Amino acid sequence: MGSAAPVSVVGDGVRDPLDVMRLREQFPVLAREVHGKPLVYFDNAATVQRPLAVIEAMDDFYRRYNANVHRGVHQLSVEASEAFEQSREDVRRFLNAASEREIVFTRGTTEAVNLVANSYLQPRLKPGDEILITHMEHHANIVPWQMLCERTGAVLKVAPINQRGELMLDAMAEMISERTKLIGVVHVSNALGTVNPVAEVCALASPHGIPVLVDGAQATPHEVVDVQALGCDFYCLSAHKMYGPTGIGALWAREALLEDMPPWQGGGEMIQWVSFEGTTYNDIPHRFEAGTPNISGAIGLGAAIRWLEETGIERMKAHEQRLLKLATDKMTEIDGLTIIGQAAAKGPVISFTLDGVHPNDLGTIIDHHGVALRTGHHCAMPVMQFFGVPATARVSFAAYNLHAEIDVFLKGLEQARQMLA
Amino acid sequence: MALDRLYQQVILDHNRCPRHFGRLAGATHSARGRDGLCGDDILVELRVSEGRVKEAMFSGTACAITTASASMLMEWLAGRSAVAVEEAGERFRQLLGNASLPDDPVLGEINCLRAVGQFPARVRNARLPWQTVVKALSSKA
Ligand SMILES: Cc1ncc(COP(=O)(O)O)c(C=O)c1O
Repeated sequence: MGSAAPVSVVGDGVRDPLDVMRLREQFPVLAREVHGKPLVYFDNAATVQRPLAVIEAMDDFYRRYNANVHRGVHQLSVEASEAFEQSREDVRRFLNAASEREIVFTRGTTEAVNLVANSYLQPRLKPGDEILITHMEHHANIVPWQMLCERTGAVLKVAPINQRGELMLDAMAEMISERTKLIGVVHVSNALGTVNPVAEVCALASPHGIPVLVDGAQATPHEVVDVQALGCDFYCLSAHKMYGPTGIGALWAREALLEDMPPWQGGGEMIQWVSFEGTTYNDIPHRFEAGTPNISGAIGLGAAIRWLEETGIERMKAHEQRLLKLATDKMTEIDGLTIIGQAAAKGPVISFTLDGVHPNDLGTIIDHHGVALRTGHHCAMPVMQFFGVPATARVSFAAYNLHAEIDVFLKGLEQARQMLA
Repeated sequence: MALDRLYQQVILDHNRCPRHFGRLAGATHSARGRDGLCGDDILVELRVSEGRVKEAMFSGTACAITTASASMLMEWLAGRSAVAVEEAGERFRQLLGNASLPDDPVLGEINCLRAVGQFPARVRNARLPWQTVVKALSSKA
């Protein structure tokens, strides 16, 4: 093609927009019916569906080269170890980390936060020290710190949010002091959709030398993440939110921090030499991966990352943002419907309440339209308390969702209202 | 359709106009029943004398199933002993789990809530008021 050839730029300025119908063919589950209706899967923030590329990569491991890693000289073990370590490299590339030594496999975001709480922070905390988080955190980025505070006498501080569900950065800045020993912030809120200004939070923290942990569980499926550009110190992710399997995720941490951290769990894999006189520990990242790891999970995570890169996160995001806008516009017109979380920058998540209809009943009725959505507190009970609601219903979109599916959902909403309100 | 059975008229009616809804002055026993997952949060207050429930009230916010179940239960409670409540509660649990059992005449109108048994995710809602009443009976106001 000559350089003068016109380039067609579509929609949000994204070249070559996503072919959603072809994408859908890669997700076998989308072909099924629920209560006699085509499945409309709008519970993607809880866990997303898996493409064939991921299912087949895990299947292939079990069929062809299932073996333990780092332990055998035999061929299968060599292949399994290579695939496992290839996935670590995939995570490194995905996050733009400096080295794959900075990538620790965990069970997911939850375990990654717990690892930092136990191994990094606990030895550094004194009574009266402070951990600063935000009011919109997932329980995974609240409870491990509360438990740590109970053990150490440290204090958990909570930076406020406003009525739109945005972090109040100025107030957060004022809460930082020499007592602050770590800041934890969610990159994209699962309950509100808010995309937080993580780089700005890191800029607040860095003059004080305070490490920042970012809960990236909801960001990784929708945003291109560059941990070096963000300026954070710890970044946590879960594979099952990003088209990969459950039970696997990763912690990224700066190499210097990891090197300084004692092991958390003990066992195989994490040692160099064991005797009853004393044991020496393995190098990072293996020091933090005690026991036989989730090998097929790691292989699935690597496959998911390659699939995301091939499909194109920016293209997927453009499509998801169109769905978000369309659904938000239509839902805003519905009498008695309140959207909880109206931040200027949002991931494809809409939490809402409908007057006269409890989210639980809404969930059941809408399920009979084939629509899967989430109801309840979304593991963010303090967010519910802030907005004074017992629970919300939540729709969340992935790249394979369709405009037409939003109409099915709206019809279900209408029926719920007629039945109950 | 099962959905119409779940949200049948009796249940919807109890949800819209719950009976015995509000605070009970002079309660002797009370308990809070919360289901964090669903956002249900009810308070059951009882006046018990001579081993029997004289009056029962509930308050709070809950989904239609919990609300209807609580409303029916509050009506049913009058004159019942703690033992009778526990037995009926156990019976109700069994009926929710097994559609082939016949209705239990002791439960009266409450039998209509057996439709919830077809919705495994919602059984917890039907049972919450019962669990809360049992908790209240073993407590003090
Ligand atoms: C924002 C956020 N943080 C943390 C988590 C916890 O992730 P996991 O359960 O995979 O450890 C989730 C998932 O529910 C989430 O949405």
